[in-house]
Amino acid sequence: MKQRVWDLPVRLFHWTLVVLVALAWWSAEEHKDDLHLYLGYGVLSLLLFRILWGFFGSSTARFSAFVRGPAAVIRYVRDRFHWPTAGHAPLGALSVIALIALLLVIVGTGLIALDEDGFFGGPLASLVSISTSDTARELHEDLFKVLLALIALHVAAILLYRLALGRNLLGPMITGKAELAPGVGPMRPGKWWVALLCVVIAIAITRWIIGGAPPFGT
Amino acid sequence: MNRKSVFVVSAFALFAVAAAAAPLAKPQALVVMKQRHEKMEAFGDATKAIYTNLQTSSPDLNVIRKASAAINQQAPKLVSWFPAGTGPNVGKTRAKAEIWQKPEDFVVKAHDFTVAANELDAAAKRGDVGQIKTSFKALGGTCKACHDPYRAPEKD
Repeated sequence: MKQRVWDLPVRLFHWTLVVLVALAWWSAEEHKDDLHLYLGYGVLSLLLFRILWGFFGSSTARFSAFVRGPAAVIRYVRDRFHWPTAGHAPLGALSVIALIALLLVIVGTGLIALDEDGFFGGPLASLVSISTSDTARELHEDLFKVLLALIALHVAAILLYRLALGRNLLGPMITGKAELAPGVGPMRPGKWWVALLCVVIAIAITRWIIGGAPPFGT
Repeated sequence: MNRKSVFVVSAFALFAVAAAAAPLAKPQALVVMKQRHEKMEAFGDATKAIYTNLQTSSPDLNVIRKASAAINQQAPKLVSWFPAGTGPNVGKTRAKAEIWQKPEDFVVKAHDFTVAANELDAAAKRGDVGQIKTSFKALGGTCKACHDPYRAPEKD
């Protein structure tokens, strides 16, 4: 019988992030400056939400359930990718942590970056020197290429699990449900109102940052 | 003829003469290209200073005045930084060969830039922040009008 493994907030976060990152890429290539800023604020809100949900969310969303040391990763590989519990396996967890951390740095550099022509920049560019903003722009662009590489790896891993191990990882990220071995406990859901509160707090923090409120004010 | 057309015609004549003249020898051309890059970066430093100041709740008018004056002073010289023989076939530059294939369009666009730079400088001198913002945005439009067709993307 299929059991719950990913809650709705995690799945919504995941797929909204996919859409926003794709649009952010497109808007940068097309020089749609204002749209790019708004998409960046959207990504920031999503990341903040996911961090909060990593502390207060369902059992499989919590960092405490999937942030592990290298020993766990090595054991997982030695065990031939055997992972009987619901939630992120050690390698997938690395992917989640790397993607969230990298996106935070990309958003952070974007906040203080200035376009090379000087007519477009992040809302916090005035808080740093122009040379810092120039460096931030270069990092913002270069790290995006690293992000694309990580996304490619993420997708390749999912394909590999499907083809080599016969495991479907995509389906559960859409439906939230997966076939679990007998005796394996399903996800323990979080509370809907906590999720809502996390969304509100994430948006509030985003507005606070982009609005230049203290200590970001000038 | 009004002032604009006098300017455009004379600038075009100068540019055409320069373009028709024997292209610069390579060592000379490379010096011109390097200086051009630095002068363009100086424009960027000035616009970035203005942009970040306009971002704050109390823009520093002195910084904006200084930067606007610097742009206004250099803007009319821009066309002369693109003599024949300083294109992408000579050395490292993002200036596209189209500049020298469509000199009349290039000169008109460069002139729009000088007009916008002049208006920004005037607004900065008056110290009217609203007017500065409008003129600054217009200036950005004239930069883009030329950069889109005539500047190659940043190398990867």
